[in-house]
Amino acid sequence: MNYPIWFVPAFGGGLLIALVAIVHVFVSHFAVGGGLYLVLAERKAIKEKSQAIMDFVKKHTKFFMLLTMVFGGLTGVAIWFVISLIHPAATSLLIHTFVFGWAAEWVFFLVEIVALFVYFYAFGKMDDRTHQTIGWIYFGAAWMSLFLINGIIDFMLTPGSWISTSNFWSGFFNPTFWPSLFFRSFMSFMLAGCYGFLTATFLKDEEARHRMIRYSGVWALVSLILSVPAGWWYISVLPDKARSLVGGASPTITRAATVGAFSLAALAGLVMVLILLHPRARTRTLTVVVMVAAMGYMGAFEWTREAARRPYVINEVMYSNGILKSEVERINREGFLKNARWVQQKEITEANQLEAGRELFLHQCFACHTVGGFNNDIIRRTKNMSYGAMRKYLTTIHEKRYFMPPFVGNETELKALAAYLTAGLHKKPLADDGGAAGDRGTVLYEENCAACHSAESIKPKMKGWELAKIRAALDKLPALNPAMPEYNAPAPDKDAVAGYLFSLNNPGADSSAKDQGATLYEENCAACHSLDQVKPKMAGWPKKKIRSALDKLSALNPAMPDYSGTAVEKDFLADYLAKHTGGAQ
Amino acid sequence: MSPASLIPVADTLTAPNGWFQFFLMLTFPLHLFAMNAMLGAGLVAFISHLYPGRAYHELSHQLAKALPFLVAFTVNLGVAPLLFVNVIYGHLLYSSTVLMGLYWLAVIPILIVAYYLTYIYDFSFRKLGNLAMFVLLVVLALLLTVGFIFSNNMSMMIAPASWSRWFATPGGTLLNLADPTLMPRYLHIITGSLAVGGLFTALYSTTLLKSTPEVSEVGRKLGMQLFTWLTLLQLGVGTWFLLSLPKATMLRFMGGSPIATALLVIGVLLAVATLLTGFKQLVLPTVWLTLPLVYVMSFMRDVVRGNFLAPYFDPTTVPVQVQWSPLIFFLMTLALGIGLVAWMLVRLKNTKKAC
Repeated sequence: MNYPIWFVPAFGGGLLIALVAIVHVFVSHFAVGGGLYLVLAERKAIKEKSQAIMDFVKKHTKFFMLLTMVFGGLTGVAIWFVISLIHPAATSLLIHTFVFGWAAEWVFFLVEIVALFVYFYAFGKMDDRTHQTIGWIYFGAAWMSLFLINGIIDFMLTPGSWISTSNFWSGFFNPTFWPSLFFRSFMSFMLAGCYGFLTATFLKDEEARHRMIRYSGVWALVSLILSVPAGWWYISVLPDKARSLVGGASPTITRAATVGAFSLAALAGLVMVLILLHPRARTRTLTVVVMVAAMGYMGAFEWTREAARRPYVINEVMYSNGILKSEVERINREGFLKNARWVQQKEITEANQLEAGRELFLHQCFACHTVGGFNNDIIRRTKNMSYGAMRKYLTTIHEKRYFMPPFVGNETELKALAAYLTAGLHKKPLADDGGAAGDRGTVLYEENCAACHSAESIKPKMKGWELAKIRAALDKLPALNPAMPEYNAPAPDKDAVAGYLFSLNNPGADSSAKDQGATLYEENCAACHSLDQVKPKMAGWPKKKIRSALDKLSALNPAMPDYSGTAVEKDFLADYLAKHTGGAQ
Repeated sequence: MSPASLIPVADTLTAPNGWFQFFLMLTFPLHLFAMNAMLGAGLVAFISHLYPGRAYHELSHQLAKALPFLVAFTVNLGVAPLLFVNVIYGHLLYSSTVLMGLYWLAVIPILIVAYYLTYIYDFSFRKLGNLAMFVLLVVLALLLTVGFIFSNNMSMMIAPASWSRWFATPGGTLLNLADPTLMPRYLHIITGSLAVGGLFTALYSTTLLKSTPEVSEVGRKLGMQLFTWLTLLQLGVGTWFLLSLPKATMLRFMGGSPIATALLVIGVLLAVATLLTGFKQLVLPTVWLTLPLVYVMSFMRDVVRGNFLAPYFDPTTVPVQVQWSPLIFFLMTLALGIGLVAWMLVRLKNTKKAC
């Protein structure tokens, strides 16, 4: 709201950040671990007096320099360029908070460049000791870069006590700092081993080739094994909300985590095979496979980390759309548009409602939702919802789907956004009464489910389901799929939704579904008790009491048989009785 | 819509503003030196391709070896001033960055391609034959494009009056072409850069290429010629830039502000002095005069920026919550870094001597 938005409708900035970040992460971690690999491999060559290995190290240095210094260095700058373009407010906050951390990182970047140039160009021309020292300086500087950036990146996930103190060091040494540092260090050694694999396959001297492949393999394997407990430690110190996101509450994260786990397994297996069993398996193709697997592992980790702080860009501080959590209350009171820069509609009228809604969309939703693009397309996500349903959805959007930020602004603004998302994007009518569009079940479905499930997509999934099964499922949505939130609604609402869902596959059954309670009463009770007889006996009973009575009919009156229906059927029956005997809800 | 209403709120600083100004003014000229050397070395190498003779050919080859270093240091030494600009003017810079997002992002792939081409030019110099000249031409064109993109952003960030164009064109495709100062500003810095780059080539030739006198000699001659003729041209381009500035700003350099006027006078005097030593082909005295000249020029640039922003933004009004320890940590790191770099360079020099 403070900054303009780079608006290319079908193109999501988030995706661009992810792409650049993941590419940079591979190269930059290699730049760290590879430094250590070079020095130790050089030492191996000196110790074993092997010219072949020494030549290999020199060649590897060239590859290393061209990859890390040019591509690694510039993609690092690219991340900075991209985030300042997509998340200017967050970038500004990070830069202002950690400017001297970054400045120190720049110094190490400079030392890295000089050290690597000297290391490469003086290879074989310098005495071994000095050359090794230069290599160690390179590695030290590269690792310090990791150390510094690690603090800033993890600050975004777990700002810790910085939120109350604004102290540089408490933000820097935040709760995930150490586990992440260990994890990243092992990752970087693992990647160094993987890249070592690849370059080693180019070695002409057969004996040296096998030796260096085995050497690289040990590197990759040991680092990989060590990275597992570090990763576990990392996850265990995440705050509860982030952990539940990693645990599976967000579909994208679940997917990413799965990919990560699979490539981890694939990688470990392949490396073992490569090193231990088959000299003939030491082929370039397989080293590439290992490399891809390693990148998958690491990529999944980065993706998870990025996603785990949703809906924030800086956890608990700033939402993905650049709005500060601390300002939400004030803006809700005063209005968003009035407080925002870079908007033209400061006051909403009937005439500019859609345009104002568009501006609200731009500043509050576009950070994650494209318009007609690949990533979180807002058109597809909103197509099932009516204006009324959208309004209701927006009021509790953050509570229903934690990883979405809350709508920030006043009631009129919320209406304008809902209008844009329905009338603006889909030409839907702006009927003010949300219920007018259909029966209760339909309306509730739209308000609560349609954001993620269109009727067409849910229909085949529930083919052949009994009404009772559908009704029971509504009580335990997270158990069906961890990505689904609990549906907290009164039983009659759930009944209505169940009725609607049942009617999708059973068009004729719609009316009977709604009268499930009546049917059950007729089938099980009416033989002895007419409704009129029961009424005075149960006058004033709350529904809860009715419902629990149905569990122990024989205790109420030994002459009555226990009711053998399912819990859901008992719910229906209790609803029906409560409705007709005037019992309280 | 008034331009001021678009300007975002600046975030709180963690050290007094003067520190950031100091670091910015200290590091930006360092970036300029590296960038100038990079462009100048590229141009001299290109010109050498046009001359017949082994000495010229060898000069190109020697400059080819230096180019990847110069690109690396230009990028690295650009990071520090850009960081401090982010701190002082971030709210302005990010706004103009979004307006020209597409071009701004293009800087990265352009640089990656240019950087790799300098390595190809270096490592495959002999293999490339006559093609080398065209590889270099592409490098120069790419680097000059990057400079043009930077000139656009740096001039657009101080011109909030042009920002409301975003409402009609939010796709990141806006440049600052309508600004009458853009072209003279860009040509001013490019002319200056190529001139100083020529001087760098002369210095490089007379020191590191000393062992091959004929190469050293053509390098010195070409470099100094480039320096003097472009500096002469610069007197015209610089005047054009001065005249293109808004009148109020221009008049500050004409006596309106003692500091601005003094900077201009010192700048012109230094430039004339470098012309004198330059035409006499005195490399080292010219270098010693040019070093302060580049600093004076970047101070003048800062005065212009301050004047453009005066109606909209006063850096002294930004809230400050001082935390000294991170600043001290940075200064210590800087000292350590400089020490390590110095140690490594001494070791390298000793190795070369031993060889």
